Amino acid sequence: MPEPGRIPVPLRLCRGCRRFVRIEHADCDFCGGDLAALEAAHAESAAAVRAATAELRTAMGRLLGLP
Amino acid sequence: MIEGQHDIALPVRYSGLDDILRRVPVSVVWEITLACDLACTHCGSRAGRRRRDELSTEEALDLVDQIAELGARSVGLIGGEAYLRKDWLQIIAAIRARGMECDLQTGGRNLSDARVAQAAAAGLNAVGISIDGIGATHDRLRGVIGSFEMALTAMANVRRHGLEVGVNTQINAHTLPELRTLMDIIIDAGCHNWQLAITTAMGNAADHPDMLLQPWQMLDVMPLLAELAVEGRERGLFIQPASNIGYFGPHESALRNVMNDEIHFHGCNAGDTVMGIEADGTIKSCPGLPSPYAGGNIRARRLRDIWENAEPIAFNRRRTVDDLWGYCRGCYYAETCLAGCTWTAHALMGRAGNNPMCHHRALDFAARGLRERLVKVKDADGRSFDHGEFAIVVEAAMPAVLADA
Repeated sequence: MPEPGRIPVPLRLCRGCRRFVRIEHADCDFCGGDLAALEAAHAESAAAVRAATAELRTAMGRLLGLP
Repeated sequence: MIEGQHDIALPVRYSGLDDILRRVPVSVVWEITLACDLACTHCGSRAGRRRRDELSTEEALDLVDQIAELGARSVGLIGGEAYLRKDWLQIIAAIRARGMECDLQTGGRNLSDARVAQAAAAGLNAVGISIDGIGATHDRLRGVIGSFEMALTAMANVRRHGLEVGVNTQINAHTLPELRTLMDIIIDAGCHNWQLAITTAMGNAADHPDMLLQPWQMLDVMPLLAELAVEGRERGLFIQPASNIGYFGPHESALRNVMNDEIHFHGCNAGDTVMGIEADGTIKSCPGLPSPYAGGNIRARRLRDIWENAEPIAFNRRRTVDDLWGYCRGCYYAETCLAGCTWTAHALMGRAGNNPMCHHRALDFAARGLRERLVKVKDADGRSFDHGEFAIVVEAAMPAVLADA
């Protein structure tokens, strides 16, 4: 087996300022935001978008007579 | 599918953690000849004439077998101009017969309908055509009047034969103002993949420092590219930034988002999942790197032996933050980034480990009212894949730059 390649050092996306930050940090090093709280708010918002998209798809399907 | 939305599949040359752990050369970029029918002012390999001792057909076909044995999934044929090699169709057919995808990266000057038909019949999967700016800008950079129109004709030829067509574009002082309009043109021409790379100060480009972007221009480049990436996705165009575009500013996620906005630059992957091959059988970890990075030649050693054991191509898995210098040494992102693109850093600074072409870095300097400017201090000596050397001047940022930042 060949020697493994370099394992990437991952970063975490701050949902407040869109900078990537070190995963072990609780607050964003750039905007000071609470990373966990920002992530939770983002997840909630993303879920709402997904639900709305699904509803829209269903409604369009009904309008177009799709199964 | 809802109108206006498009399915985007990841190219097979994208690598995952398993590939890194097993160090599979997922993507092999092979210069099969240095002969070329264009005269590009930025050409890193100074292509034009064939190398003196390019591989024979027998050697090339044996190399295909060796590449396949290492688990490669994609072989990109480049030049020079790959179709100027008489056995290029045999090489394509052999690559496909070994179960790998094969694409051609071309300037397209003489990629006639007949040539595309032959390549398609041989099994070619995709063609990337180099288009650097619009009309006269492209013609000037590519050194042939009319080459822009020829490239568009080549794109049409490729599409006519049902092959996937992409475009490769150099970002430099001449093309930067034209990128937005160029995107419209290539979308209209049926392109779904757009590879963008910053012109690196290597080969002919090292002789034209006026063409090269300055580090502080990353303040303009990155927001523009992020905007184009988002707009492109909505219009069915997948923008693929090269490893020398970055790094880690507020647009990183938008630029690299491939169905996951948490994707970010992970550092140079040369020698881990990428392999470069020169037409004489020289093996490198990245097609653009200069000769000190050559791991050996397949005329002297088996490809597997070079890939697994040659120290000159092992630099990525050896590199640590302690190997960095200059600004990159103390950067917030040092551990992940490791100074970005090795090729770009080495070509500019004469050694890897300090890369001024960086958005995070430009933002940091701008926040302090400063900017970095590159000044050429040493000429390249005129060989293939050679480079000069640049010094970094730190100076007060122009008011306009500060306002934009």
